[in-house]
Amino acid sequence: MRSNGLEYQQQQPDSPIRRRVLSWLVGLINLGVIVGFIAPVLGFISSPARRRREPGEWVPVLNAHELKPGETRAVTYSLMVKDGYTTAEHRYSVYLYHRSDGTILAFDPSCPHLGCRVEFKERKQRYVCPCHGGVFDTEGNLVSGPPPTGLTKLPVRVDGGKIWIQRV
Amino acid sequence: MAHLIEKTTEKPTPRSDGKPERGVELPHRAGWVGAVRDWIEERTGLFGFIKHHLDEPMPPGVGWWQTLGNLLLTLLIFQFITGFALAMFYAPTPDHAHESVKHITENVPLGAFIRGLHHWGSSFIMLVVVLHILRVFFWGAYKKPRELTWLVGVAIFQVILAFAFTGYLLIWDQKAYWATVVGTRFASTVPVIGEWLMHFLRGGKEVGALTLTRFYAIHIMLLPVALVLLTAAHLYLVRRLHIAGPVVPQKGAPQPFYPYQLFRDAVVVLVGMGLLMTCALLFKPPLYPVADPSGTAFTPRPEWYFLGLYELLKLMPPKLEVLGTVVIPGLVAIGMILLPWLDRSPSRHPAYRKWVIDVGLIVIFLIGTLTLKGILSEPPEVIPQSTSVSSSTTGSR
Ligand code: HEM
Ligand code: FES
Repeated sequence: MRSNGLEYQQQQPDSPIRRRVLSWLVGLINLGVIVGFIAPVLGFISSPARRRREPGEWVPVLNAHELKPGETRAVTYSLMVKDGYTTAEHRYSVYLYHRSDGTILAFDPSCPHLGCRVEFKERKQRYVCPCHGGVFDTEGNLVSGPPPTGLTKLPVRVDGGKIWIQRV
Repeated sequence: MAHLIEKTTEKPTPRSDGKPERGVELPHRAGWVGAVRDWIEERTGLFGFIKHHLDEPMPPGVGWWQTLGNLLLTLLIFQFITGFALAMFYAPTPDHAHESVKHITENVPLGAFIRGLHHWGSSFIMLVVVLHILRVFFWGAYKKPRELTWLVGVAIFQVILAFAFTGYLLIWDQKAYWATVVGTRFASTVPVIGEWLMHFLRGGKEVGALTLTRFYAIHIMLLPVALVLLTAAHLYLVRRLHIAGPVVPQKGAPQPFYPYQLFRDAVVVLVGMGLLMTCALLFKPPLYPVADPSGTAFTPRPEWYFLGLYELLKLMPPKLEVLGTVVIPGLVAIGMILLPWLDRSPSRHPAYRKWVIDVGLIVIFLIGTLTLKGILSEPPEVIPQSTSVSSSTTGSR
């Protein structure tokens, strides 16, 4: 063993209890410091995940007369959205379907599987997801592929000649 | 304390087995260079340390297969340097990320080259880390006493995957955006805490400004520190336990690491880095149009090394996507972690651990097939827009 100059000094008489208590205290102090430090950091970085969902707002997306009976169409609209430290204009899209009975269905274009944007194929009258091949019919029901459910329907109403949808 | 002063001029005390503590005698060297060297050596033991590791005996039969780890280390160091350089020109905000990457690629002198090194470098790293893992697997080098070396290696592999996933978003183009929308949705398939986990990763409900800063902070602070610590532990263990050598011990005397194995290492680094530089010179790193959440004309696809997973998801039955997103990848990861304990045979020879080799081959074959299928089924990146017209209205708030 290398000398560090201490072997000439007499060791203090030691008691095993004192050693045990002190080492417990060291552990406790360190644990307290670490937890006291890490907890606010975790609270800080997880705060965006805790934000409550606001009830979806109603947005006008299209003049009602533009949607022909039997037609499905993609409509894009813009919204000012609070995104972290900024408020920016975000573009979104929604699928509108004018059913034969005159009612209108609105679908969130994000695939219920893993969130890719589904595409409406006019010729086949089917929604197709480009990611893993999910297929849905015009009513939004799942036809085939891995998605667990049909397309997400959004509440719709017609008011003042405009089609409004409620965002999820 | 005359005693302490005396001590510093003393030679290290011999150990009980007769070897000097640092184990190495440096050859005599005259002149001031030698004097400086000896001055530093006396205080730090640095040159003895280096010499000790250069002299490390390699079992006969160690050769080219054992150069992959060193190539990986070199690639990672270069990745660190190019990443540091890119960070000086990069702005992690949705307004500027794409623009700054475009600026790097098009206007900054050598920008396309440096970005190319980082971009293609990530693919090289992925390829080499997989080859390195396969080498260790077939050599059975994860067995006692090297279980922890293997475990640390598995952790490094996870860190590299996380690097690739977080780095991918930073350029904020369509491909990056949609890959991240899907990638973070994986988290939401975890039972119970899934939704919260996804929002935690994204920093909110949607992929946006806070996702970008989150991924940036992870990519340039958390992961590099984790990688450095893990790599240090890995190399320490590799040297402490010595390299495993061929499965069937070969006749002959061990060769010192320097210059024989180091020469092979250098050749492989030359070839590897040469190829990487050639790629970076010839192929401009891609940059698609800026991320657009309403984008209609884009088929999202991940980078090639995640295509296997992407294809796997296509095969999952409805309602069971958690199999493809969490369960199967998780089983592969757990299998890798437990490998040294699942494989009970004390022999490293493939003939004495048949089932492990068979399962390994099947897993490699499946991952390879899925990846290949993904690469070959590459659809046109821009699909023609459907005939329905998009019209635009501005919503109020
Ligand atoms: C260790 C330090 C690292 C730093 C400081 C760093 C930094 C950066 C920065 C600033 C960017 C954005 C600029 C750009 O996209 O060209 C970026 C992108 C990226 N990084 Fe890293 N990085 C590091 C390591 C890695 C590693 C080890 C990998 C992968 C195995 C990786 C994979 C990527 C990828 C795939 C991109 C997107 C590149 C592109 O498509 O051009 N990075 N990194
Ligand atoms: S995201 Fe649509 S099928 Fe997977």
